Amino acid sequence: MNPINQGSDVPHRLGKDEIDRRRHENESVLKQTPRSLWYYSWRRMKRNKLAMLGLGITFALILIAAGASFLAPFDPNSQVLEYSTEPSGFHGNILISKSEANPNQTIPIPIAECRVQGNRVIYTTSEGRDKSIALSRLAGNSEKDWHKTPTYYLGTDRYGRDVLSRLMYGARISLTVAFFAELCSLFIGVLIGSIAGFYRGVTDDVFMWFTNVVWSIPSLLLIIAISIALGLGMWQTIFAIGITEWVDMARIVRGQFFTLRETEYVEATKALGLSNKRTIFRHILPNSLGPIIVIATAGFANAIIYEASLSFLGLGVQPPTSTWGQMIHDGYGFIAAGSNWGLTLYPALAIMIAVFAFNLFGDGLRDAFDPKLKR
Amino acid sequence: MLSFSLRRLFYSVLVIFGVVTVVFFIMNLLPDPARMMQGQRADLATQAAIRHQLGLDLPPLQRYLRFIGDVAQGDLGRSWSSNRPVLGSIMERFGATATLAIGAMTIATILGIGIGILSAVKSYTIFDNGTMLFALVGISVPAFVMGLLAMLLFGSVLDWFPVSGYMYQGDELHLEYLILPMCVLALRPISIIARVTRSSMLETLASDYVRTAKAKGVTWKSVVYRHALRNALNPVVTTVSAWLAGLLVGTYFIEYIFNWPGIGLQAVDAITRSDFPIIQGTVIFSAVIFVTVNFFVDILYSRMDPRVKLG
Repeated sequence: MNPINQGSDVPHRLGKDEIDRRRHENESVLKQTPRSLWYYSWRRMKRNKLAMLGLGITFALILIAAGASFLAPFDPNSQVLEYSTEPSGFHGNILISKSEANPNQTIPIPIAECRVQGNRVIYTTSEGRDKSIALSRLAGNSEKDWHKTPTYYLGTDRYGRDVLSRLMYGARISLTVAFFAELCSLFIGVLIGSIAGFYRGVTDDVFMWFTNVVWSIPSLLLIIAISIALGLGMWQTIFAIGITEWVDMARIVRGQFFTLRETEYVEATKALGLSNKRTIFRHILPNSLGPIIVIATAGFANAIIYEASLSFLGLGVQPPTSTWGQMIHDGYGFIAAGSNWGLTLYPALAIMIAVFAFNLFGDGLRDAFDPKLKR
Repeated sequence: MLSFSLRRLFYSVLVIFGVVTVVFFIMNLLPDPARMMQGQRADLATQAAIRHQLGLDLPPLQRYLRFIGDVAQGDLGRSWSSNRPVLGSIMERFGATATLAIGAMTIATILGIGIGILSAVKSYTIFDNGTMLFALVGISVPAFVMGLLAMLLFGSVLDWFPVSGYMYQGDELHLEYLILPMCVLALRPISIIARVTRSSMLETLASDYVRTAKAKGVTWKSVVYRHALRNALNPVVTTVSAWLAGLLVGTYFIEYIFNWPGIGLQAVDAITRSDFPIIQGTVIFSAVIFVTVNFFVDILYSRMDPRVKLG
């Protein structure tokens, strides 16, 4: 409760003690360090459990993506063709042998059982044939090194690759593409929006005409056309999404500039003779950060969707790099056959969780930056 | 009013002109059509002949003017794979897309506005929090993921609907083919319309004239539907029309997954075959539809809401 503005609640006559008490109270409020918008927004945000959940999941995803090489139980591209499309929780039984051509490379041999006899290992293949291999051709020194029984927690795909590991590496692609694409569209959107909003007049007309042109072209087709024109790959995907998805940002920033340029402090910058560049970047832009961050979060979530859609069509980051969209594409052929639904479901869930978490966080941010929506 | 409409019309034409220019520019960045059509081993003479036939040997400016002229006359070129006029094959398939889009938007508008009003009236209750959480899920799931999951659940596991295919088989009408893609397509717009309706209603319900209406004893029902709703509908109309325009021009993934022969499926097929004239034609056609819908919405707006300036 702010004791300064109590207005009509103040009785007409106050005792001296009461006046002193109130003066003291007022002064103590005035002495408090003023906090930034960020402080109050963060405090509101912390109370919003769903938004914090979204933030938590987002952090977890970033950790998984960054640490995929340590966290993933398997190499995402190593194939064990005998273990094609195994169900979730499948236990493998593998001998690890050294490649004859290159001793640093290992080749997994799936087996049913094995025993050591002298300096050879006798094993039964998954087809039931008995074979043997010299101990020197196996990796490492002890049985623990060359005989493994790993668990494929989410099963394997058609080529016997571990689905869980591929999902983890897929997170890396999704987040990287979405981050840089959003950075790109943030830059274009803020630039176009602020120039149009600040200068108005003919400049505004031309920039908004261009914005409307890009807005009228179906985003997906534009993204696809640009990435085909540039050749397929990760940076091309990033550029194609970034250069298409700035429209919302430009509109919001322009709107902010329209409002803010009428304020007293912007008038003051003119009176002080500051350059337009300084007024735009040092004074107006920092005051529009709230809406910009909200739109950027939504744009990030959309960029994840676009990346997944592109790689679903085979037009995104190219194999063998694993991406979620491409995993779904490889898996959904099995739906009609009614088997191996996990190959579609797991990457689908991964996309849903990532986008949902980010939207939860974005919604929380919007509420936190907008004091009108205070609960 | 008339001068306003004329000005909007002129602006729409300007936007379409811009789209055609952007399309021309991007198509010039794509790999050489003569090589694409003939494959890697085409001899130089054939390639030159094709270039001449397509007018690719002309200087860029002349090609650009020719392109604009062709598009203005409704000539979008011929498909490289079927050699049929592009506009013809788009028009042929537009019906299937429009059926899906209009069906989905009908469901989405009715359900979305209904849910939005209920959420606003019962704001911050379990109903409101629950539906808004569902709406956020609806926004978060990409169309192709939603389509595949629906196919998996209702097509394969429960076996209620056919997995994919078009509703006309020969002359027979099989509406059961329409239901699944239509409902999946409606989910995202339902979520967004519900969210927009809710926040707009909340804002109006907190306004002074609603309080006045309540104070003078108007029934709650009448306050909600006659006073608040009418004024809250503006952003909702924008959202509905933007989505209608958006769905009319492309439901690529839903059509692709459910094998629905609309312009979206045609575009995706054209992409896999590198049939650029079809892609180019689809982009221009989509932009025209999109701009046209928005033109009519602008006109409707100025009739509906006197606060909209005719500027």
